[in-house]
Amino acid sequence: MAPYFARAPESLVSDALEGFARAHPDLVEHDAEGGFVRALRGSPDRRVGLLSGGGSGHEPLHIGFVGAGMLDAATPGMIFTSPHNRQVFAASRAVARRDGVLHLVKNYTGDKINFGIAAERLADEGIPVARVLIDDDIASESEDIAVGRRGTGATVLIEKILGAAADAGAGLADLADLGTSLTGRSRSLAVASAAHTAPADGSPAFDIPGGRLEFGVGIHGERADRTVAHEPLDALLETMTDTLLGTLAPGRGDSVIALVNGLGSVTGLELYAVARELGRRLDRRGVELRRSLVGHFVTALDMRGFSLTLLLADDAITDWYDAPAHTPAWRR
Amino acid sequence: MTSFDAAFTGGWIRRFAASVRATEPELTALDQRAGDGDFGVNLTTGLTTALRMLDEAAADGEPEDASAPLLTTATAFLDSVGGTSGPLFGLLFQRLACAVRDAGPGLTTSGLAAGTREGLAVIQRVGEARAGDKTLVDALAPAARALGACPPDAPPDTALVRAAGGAWEGVRSTARLRARRGRASYLGDRVSGVPDPGAVGIGLFYASADGGVRALAPFLEGREQPSR
Repeated sequence: MAPYFARAPESLVSDALEGFARAHPDLVEHDAEGGFVRALRGSPDRRVGLLSGGGSGHEPLHIGFVGAGMLDAATPGMIFTSPHNRQVFAASRAVARRDGVLHLVKNYTGDKINFGIAAERLADEGIPVARVLIDDDIASESEDIAVGRRGTGATVLIEKILGAAADAGAGLADLADLGTSLTGRSRSLAVASAAHTAPADGSPAFDIPGGRLEFGVGIHGERADRTVAHEPLDALLETMTDTLLGTLAPGRGDSVIALVNGLGSVTGLELYAVARELGRRLDRRGVELRRSLVGHFVTALDMRGFSLTLLLADDAITDWYDAPAHTPAWRR
Repeated sequence: MTSFDAAFTGGWIRRFAASVRATEPELTALDQRAGDGDFGVNLTTGLTTALRMLDEAAADGEPEDASAPLLTTATAFLDSVGGTSGPLFGLLFQRLACAVRDAGPGLTTSGLAAGTREGLAVIQRVGEARAGDKTLVDALAPAARALGACPPDAPPDTALVRAAGGAWEGVRSTARLRARRGRASYLGDRVSGVPDPGAVGIGLFYASADGGVRALAPFLEGREQPSR
């Protein structure tokens, strides 16, 4: 048992938000009453405000990507819990530009409903609003799961690319179309060898026997639909890369942006070793690896695992990905 | 055309609050069997907030428009209630308020019918539930149908009795359904025989217009078995 470093489990999120604002006073402000984090120096020429949000526990998503070149605001919920529609409504009103506001929503029922209620309220006030629903996780693609694929790692890539497109002056409908196209070009897959620690009591959220891996794990402590043998990394990456490429079906000479994402407690050494295996397999298949993003971006508290995301990228998408951004978790 | 004033809609919300308060233990028990157990509390929280806001508004004088108490209730539910069902109720009250205002200033059957129809549409748009998924839609859809079938110039209280009857039939139907949305969808056959708490809330709302909860009481107390 290793409890979290917190005054109390219930205050972890609110204390962290206050600390986040104190740590980045030049970049963001925390509107505690409205329940959102807002960019202090957002991009001035945008026609559309960009808003995302979701449960806490996925840091740096989403608040870490609030700032110039990415999100205008983010609405954090409690741990693994969707934000209230009131937070989304208040944040949307605060950041809407003359063309309105775009919601970047990961595909989970609570997020969809709360962003959806806020969207109805915004429309009632005459504020244009559109949504990009991000659903990249192939492990949750099944005829038995009516709610569809979960939204996971692709979110950070889509937030970056849409941020640059918004800075370039794209309108609401164009941004929504681009976001939907990006979602269609993105697929993710995650594995874990140990569950995250439950914040309430410091115990593992579920048990994974030694020598086994959860294959296709999510980011909310939900188990994968299968447990497999923990193979050496090259064999594991062979399976994961095959699965991803089988779904995305790039042709020879197509290009991808890759995200090698830690779920909370794997080391940087491991993530770069994963990136090596991924890169070698893409080379072998004639798929050009345009850009790599390696680190902890969309976490599941301290889950010991990683996810791979591939996004089929053309020149325009790559240029937007490369455009400068300055947020607490993205400076390049 | 018969129309009622803000005192009627305000009274309707107050009777709804009394109905919910009287049945909160049963609502909570239902939601503990078919959900996560917070529905009764969420409904009570929203209505307590709404009553406080109605009292504050009344201190400044009774409103002219019959839609005003409905809009106050909508704001209370949208802003202060957690979970998902609570804010969905807020959307229904908001659509009702807008339709009643547009058909107003008094409450008419045509305003009620339009508001209920639009409330059903927005709840389905946001929550994506269809008839038969074992959600509040299964009570709201027959209420909307019953109101739509009323002559537009019928007195609103008569129309609301018909709406409550439709909702009540819908509540009964949810007991026989297997849940396809919400927490209950993970419980499979374990919730067969249990009516959907959200649907019961809709039934209580329409039944409260003319005096209350009596029609639903036997069901909530478990004396009536669902027919199969």
